[in-house]
Amino acid sequence: MKIVVTMKLVPDPNAEKKIDPQTKRLVRTGVETVLNPYDEYALEAGLQLKERVGGDTRVTIFSMAPDALKETLRRALAMGADDAAVLSDPALEGSDVWATAYAMAHALRRLEFDLLIVGGLTDDSSTGAVPGALAEHLGLPCITNARKIELADRTLTIERETDVGYQTVRAPLPALLTTALTFGEPRYASLKGIMGAKKKAIASIGLAELSLDSAVGSDGSKTEIESFAPPAARGQGKTVEAPDAAAGASAIFDFLRERKFV
Amino acid sequence: MKNVLVYAEHRQGATRKVTFELATQARTLADSLGGKACAVVVGSGAGAIAQQLAPYPLDAIYCNEDSQVDAFLLDPVVDYLEAAASLVGASLILIPNTLSGRDIAGRLMVKLRAGIVADVVDFEIAGESVVCVSPKLGGAITTRCALRPGEFGIATVRPNAFQAAASGGTAKIEQLPTARRSYAAAIDNDVEEGTGELALEEAPVVVAGGRGLGGPEPFETLLKPLARALGGAVGASRAAADAGWVPYSLQIGQTGKTVTPNLYIAVGISGAIQHKVGMRSSGAIVAINKDGAAPIGEFSDLLVVGDAFRIVPELTNLIEKAKGNAT
Ligand SMILES: Cc1cc2nc3c(=O)[nH]c(=O)nc-3n(C[C@H](O)[C@H](O)[C@H](O)COP(=O)(O)OP(=O)(O)OC[C@H]3O[C@@H](n4cnc5c(N)ncnc54)[C@H](O)[C@@H]3O)c2cc1C
Repeated sequence: MKIVVTMKLVPDPNAEKKIDPQTKRLVRTGVETVLNPYDEYALEAGLQLKERVGGDTRVTIFSMAPDALKETLRRALAMGADDAAVLSDPALEGSDVWATAYAMAHALRRLEFDLLIVGGLTDDSSTGAVPGALAEHLGLPCITNARKIELADRTLTIERETDVGYQTVRAPLPALLTTALTFGEPRYASLKGIMGAKKKAIASIGLAELSLDSAVGSDGSKTEIESFAPPAARGQGKTVEAPDAAAGASAIFDFLRERKFV
Repeated sequence: MKNVLVYAEHRQGATRKVTFELATQARTLADSLGGKACAVVVGSGAGAIAQQLAPYPLDAIYCNEDSQVDAFLLDPVVDYLEAAASLVGASLILIPNTLSGRDIAGRLMVKLRAGIVADVVDFEIAGESVVCVSPKLGGAITTRCALRPGEFGIATVRPNAFQAAASGGTAKIEQLPTARRSYAAAIDNDVEEGTGELALEEAPVVVAGGRGLGGPEPFETLLKPLARALGGAVGASRAAADAGWVPYSLQIGQTGKTVTPNLYIAVGISGAIQHKVGMRSSGAIVAINKDGAAPIGEFSDLLVVGDAFRIVPELTNLIEKAKGNAT
């Protein structure tokens, strides 16, 4: 069985985020690049399936990222993925969701697979639209927010979170899954894994190989950021020390009154 | 892009408030664009929802009671939306920014070769040009993003961003032709946890609890009565959800729900960045925390430093008294 896990490389989620006023893109210089934390859960799901299914099951990482950043994927290889493929091309810069999903889908089509696992969100720009778009491009059943994955006779049985509870969904392979964070914490790379990852292959895919019939990057995008600004600032808040509970409660009550909530 | 099409999300006949917000906003947008405002409602209970939508200022409501919509995971919904979109022609499609709304939007984007803007809180219209306003990077910036005129555009819209007003409804209810019968992803079981509660994203007041509450009971005994007194819903931090005190469906933050109520009360929540991004756009923010240096104080209108276990019951009491329900 062949599993592909998509991974986005994002600026360190704990770093302050800035936008370059000229290019209107996220400033990445001086900020460490890491694996999108949500995609690590997707990888964990892929690795657990590989362990359960056994045989010649392989887990391949796919990423669309600048060539210079591809070594960041070693961490995913150290966690246990078998190899990686990176779609990079300067022409991809500035792609919106439409252009991104379009290019990714064409590259993914070249990596034959039974199961495609995608992180639920990205840390730097979460539209949440990419998984659904990939499924549609590739003609796959799309099951999002999986928290439990069973596989028997090439049929997936997935427990997925909804916003009021959960559902059990059944679908045949090949399919696309996204993982919920309740799936389980991603594993750490072992020392053996880190050593082994050095020898694993990270293949490069160029746009030219994909023979796309529409443009990507800013030209191929269907949306354009016109401007951006910091949101309206919140006024300086008030702090009330309330060693006495009654005083604390009435401070809040007065506030609610003043703002007409009661 | 002249017309506006609303996806009326519901759960087996139970509507969401955001549907009415979108139906109302669709009229305003369609008037500025010089086109029609329409809605699509499908699945069991769709007819009843169409009736509830009828008082809203729409031109047409496309409806199909197809029970297959509830048997397969979103595929039928996407097909019905595509069918309605091709009836209406190049249009701006409004989809609630909810878990399933986001899934639907991504798939519809490909079917309609549409542009998409996520988490929209406002629109600017000039001629046929539509600019969507949405917070990005967890609310650190607000972007204005243009859709291409003449093509389909999709906006996933944040609940609570617009007002709902039922007036001027003259919509015709039109039957959509029934879609394909079978799809790959079948729903075997659909379970609601915490039924009968107000949907968190739509609540005008949210009372959220964190690790400081120490266990599941205070969510029932402290937070619920306060939320009820204020007509709101209970939410939680990830620490509380991870501990199993509340279901994950109550989690607010980067990996949970984004809420923008008029009033947010954070009880025993420190205010980590991942929590903040899910609630910072709330109207007023009040925090109760025993630590005066907790980061939540930096983005609260009022931080009360003290013991939540003693302050919350007193506060609930004061509110009930003011409402004339003295105990
Ligand atoms: C990738 C990632 C995603 C995440 N996503 C989310 C998310 O979506 N949502 C989220 O919330 N977190 C998220 N987190 C976790 C986040 O970083 C924090 O760990 C979490 O928000 C802390 O929850 P808390 O504030 O309840 O707990 P704590 O940080 O432990 O704070 C508890 C607070 O309670 C106060 N307290 C204790 N006792 C009392 C009392 N008797 N009365 C009053 N106050 C009291 C303490 O002073 C303290 O400030 C995420 C983390 C990561 C790494």
